Amino acid sequence: MSDTASKGASPPGREDEVMVRCERVWKVFGAGAERVIAEHGASVSDETLARHELIAAVRDVNLSVNRGEIFVIMGLSGSGKSTLVRCMTGLIGLTLGRLLIDGTDLMNISTRDLVEVRRYKMGMVFQDFALLPHLTVLGNVVFPLKIQGVERGAREARAREMIELVGLSGRERYYPHELSGGQQQRVGIARSLTTEPEIWFLDEPFSALDPLIRHEMQDELQRLQGILRKTIVFITHDFDEAIKLADRIAIMNEGRVVQIGTPEGLVVNPANDYVAEFTQKIPRARVLTVRAVMGPPGRAGGEPIPENALVHEAAERVLAAEQPLPVSNARGELVGSLDRDAVIRVLLEKDRG
Amino acid sequence: MQVPQRRLVHLAPLALALGVTAWLKSWEEIPRWVKYYPRDWKVPADKQLDALFNFFAEEVDLGLFTFKELTRGFAWVIERLLLFVQGVFAKGFEFYGDAMTPWLVIPPLSWVAVTGLFAILAYWASGRALAILVAVFFAYFAVFDLWENAMLTLASVFVAVLLGIAIGVALGALGYRSRVFNAILTPIYDIMQTTPIWSYLVPVLVFFGFGPLAGLLATVVFAMPPMARVTTLALQRVPANTSDFGDMAGCTRRQKMWLVMLPSARRSLLIGINQVIMLSLAAVIVASIIGAGGLGADVYRALTALRIGDAVEAGLAITLLAIALDRISQGIAMRRPVHEVESARNLIRRHPLVTLALALVVASAVLGPFVPAVKSFPDSLTISTGDVWNDVVKWLNVNHHETIGGFRDFFIIHLLKPVKLFFIRLPWPAVILVAVTLGYALGGWRLALLAGLLLTGIALSGYWKQAMISLYLATLGVLASMLIGAPIGVAAALNRRVDRVVTVIIDTLQTLPTFVYLLPVVMLFATGEFPAFVAIVMYAVLPAIRYTKHGIANIPRPIIEATDLSGATRMQKLFQVQIPLALPDILLGVNQVLMMAFGMLVITALVGTRGLEQEALTSLAKVRPGTGVVTGLGIACLVIVSDRMITAASVLSRRHLGLATAAPAMA
Ligand SMILES: Nc1ncnc2c1ncn2[C@@H]1O[C@H](COP(=O)(O)OP(=O)(O)OP(=O)(O)O)[C@@H](O)[C@H]1O
Ligand SMILES: [Mg+2]
Repeated sequence: MSDTASKGASPPGREDEVMVRCERVWKVFGAGAERVIAEHGASVSDETLARHELIAAVRDVNLSVNRGEIFVIMGLSGSGKSTLVRCMTGLIGLTLGRLLIDGTDLMNISTRDLVEVRRYKMGMVFQDFALLPHLTVLGNVVFPLKIQGVERGAREARAREMIELVGLSGRERYYPHELSGGQQQRVGIARSLTTEPEIWFLDEPFSALDPLIRHEMQDELQRLQGILRKTIVFITHDFDEAIKLADRIAIMNEGRVVQIGTPEGLVVNPANDYVAEFTQKIPRARVLTVRAVMGPPGRAGGEPIPENALVHEAAERVLAAEQPLPVSNARGELVGSLDRDAVIRVLLEKDRG
Repeated sequence: MQVPQRRLVHLAPLALALGVTAWLKSWEEIPRWVKYYPRDWKVPADKQLDALFNFFAEEVDLGLFTFKELTRGFAWVIERLLLFVQGVFAKGFEFYGDAMTPWLVIPPLSWVAVTGLFAILAYWASGRALAILVAVFFAYFAVFDLWENAMLTLASVFVAVLLGIAIGVALGALGYRSRVFNAILTPIYDIMQTTPIWSYLVPVLVFFGFGPLAGLLATVVFAMPPMARVTTLALQRVPANTSDFGDMAGCTRRQKMWLVMLPSARRSLLIGINQVIMLSLAAVIVASIIGAGGLGADVYRALTALRIGDAVEAGLAITLLAIALDRISQGIAMRRPVHEVESARNLIRRHPLVTLALALVVASAVLGPFVPAVKSFPDSLTISTGDVWNDVVKWLNVNHHETIGGFRDFFIIHLLKPVKLFFIRLPWPAVILVAVTLGYALGGWRLALLAGLLLTGIALSGYWKQAMISLYLATLGVLASMLIGAPIGVAAALNRRVDRVVTVIIDTLQTLPTFVYLLPVVMLFATGEFPAFVAIVMYAVLPAIRYTKHGIANIPRPIIEATDLSGATRMQKLFQVQIPLALPDILLGVNQVLMMAFGMLVITALVGTRGLEQEALTSLAKVRPGTGVVTGLGIACLVIVSDRMITAASVLSRRHLGLATAAPAMA
């Protein structure tokens, strides 16, 4: 769990480190969507959309994903998550707005350039795995490289490396239907990584798996991210999964992004009832950092706790200690103290509205 | 539940009643032009088309070459392919050079090799049981001295299937890419599939000359549409994410189609290929009658010469070939790849079946010149059961002549004759009127318009009477099939044991080419409309059984359980719950029955029916392409109008029952 401990200290959004930027992105489905939106602009009302039988799957979304972070998009079914990601990958065009991938405007590049961007910059994992049924594990993983025309020896070596990385060595010759769901998704992951993409899109990659396997795969993803440090856009409708993986979370409702923040930020300060609904069932000890609940530095003794540790990680030590424990920041300076009462209040969910 | 709009349903019977009473009261007083479509009003489209075809075939000059040269050139290419495959399977190759005697003769694959190859293929597709079955079937061809003709048939099917797949997949992919293209193609497929094969045989003859090639091309026209339809459908059904994956991997358009979409749709495509194979076989058999050679010609020649025994043997060979091809192609479609256990370096170890096949071919080729029995099955060992069958028929004729004849005459006098007379004497404006009102009642003004236009077209063409004769046989066939098939279907739905027997029989009968059905009826009832009627019923009863069974078996369980709890007797349950609820499915079944009835009707032209199908067949003999096309389109019009009406009725009854409306497809 060393990754989660570093939460909240996600890299600052410096301009040159933004990998995906959405500016006022709209996606409206239906006949004549372009015309209606061009006429009414971003201020189009629900009535207008309804009158023209249009579905606004994504509305006025502004967000940016930074290099190396895990950015989770979450929301109920039909809230527009997949549509937003399909916009980001250029699988569908925008109705309005601008979408920059590592500085390139996706809407203004030729088909050939888009193919290039997809080949070398993006990788994607799908909910239903989307493996090719007629190819073996090796054949599937090697596929994106084969499309690019990489020479046979090189591409197979690379694919074997990826298969080993996801722990499927020895199954290279199996066909997808001979593997379990979890194994199939490992193939999907290996396949999306063979091209060494910079941005990695995962659309509900674990939703089709049963809970035990899902947890295992989440750990696997964290392990891989520890090694690879990709920029990740991860979609889920499971808040537990979101807080486990995310550096930042964007919550979507009916096509709009209603709040973007760290897991802790969302739990502590939900923007509205919709967000609160999601955060309600989450044990706060699992998202609150020590910094958020500590008291002023004072009468305290013992080994200091890092301020960005989660409360549930520190709880055992605090509860066992005779006196409050000191809290230190990244540079080792003492910034506060944590006493038993504060921890118990969090564990008992005392401050919840 | 909302009561469905009934539209003018009540008008249709009214119009019918009015028309009929008027006709019954004073047949004499009805103006002649109402009773019979006047000859002067005929639009001579058939004659004009004849001329047009001849003009194209004989006179159109495209500068460097004539139109005829163009088509014959195209034909030449395909003919090479056909000759090559025929050479491999049946005829071998001879190279003459300048000399009178060939300097090189390559024999065809020996019977041992072909039997072995197909057994190996069957083993790969399905397993040992099928391999043995296929080997026995092929041995039958050899033992009964039908080898060469069976191989000729096989060669034609092979080439037709190749072309059918290539063209079908290409058109299907285009239909998938472009909605407009699909919208244009779909009705064309409808027409291609409903127009009798005779009709396109004639133009093909004019442009491509007599011979196996004409039959082959007609076969492709007949068997290709399902492949195109299946391809479009299968591509549309590829999961959206798989298609997205193709884009995300950075495929070009072509890469995506060939490496992602088509392979992912593989299963449905293989099922489509199975259909193409079966339809091609049916068509090749029929086409071989016009001089293409093969098993169909054997049966036909034997039948016309009243050598019943030979006809039966060849007919059985067709049946066995059909079953073998069907089971093998189905096996391949159901097959799933299995990973290789270890990475054997050895090519032979890795592909044992291929190795075995190659070894077999080489061994038989080497042994051939020395051991004649390998090269061709020894004549002394061939057997014929011809006499047995001849005796059976003779015995039937001698001892049961009166029973059989009486049976036949009874039906002719009390059923066929009166119904036929009724149909012929229906005043044509009344028929069109009834069809239009019925169309409006069932499907709104579009269906009304369609029915009106197509039927008027038939009247204008001057073939109204023949159309009515076709319609009468088909209608009777449909009614009889439903009367016989529905109870069997109900029994199968309610009783497991009946179901198992019925399923086996249906599955086997379904694979048989249409032509085979003519054999028993001709043996028993000679020629005419009665044997045709019987053949139609035998063929069309299959979907009647299947859809009825399906409809009843598919009723949601809770409804059945609720009925049981309410204390209904079995009969009450059946007649008040199960059959009414199964009605939409059964109606869809009627549609299928209708298709099959018309499909068989076309073939029964060979046993001497008198409708449009007969006109199409004779146009073939007289080489009148225009007549063939016009009469063929007439049949297509009849089929399409009835098909749309029944589909609309099914949708209506579905809505009436408050069931979801599934889009019915024309198979
Ligand atoms: N191609 C399309 N045409 C019309 N409407 C669409 C299309 N794709 C998506 N929609 C609509 O857009 C809305 C958002 O769909 P989207 O698939 O993005 O939701 P989602 O958040 O991914 O849901 P889920 O969790 O079920 O995957 C839905 O109302 C959907 O019906
Ligand atoms: Mg989705």
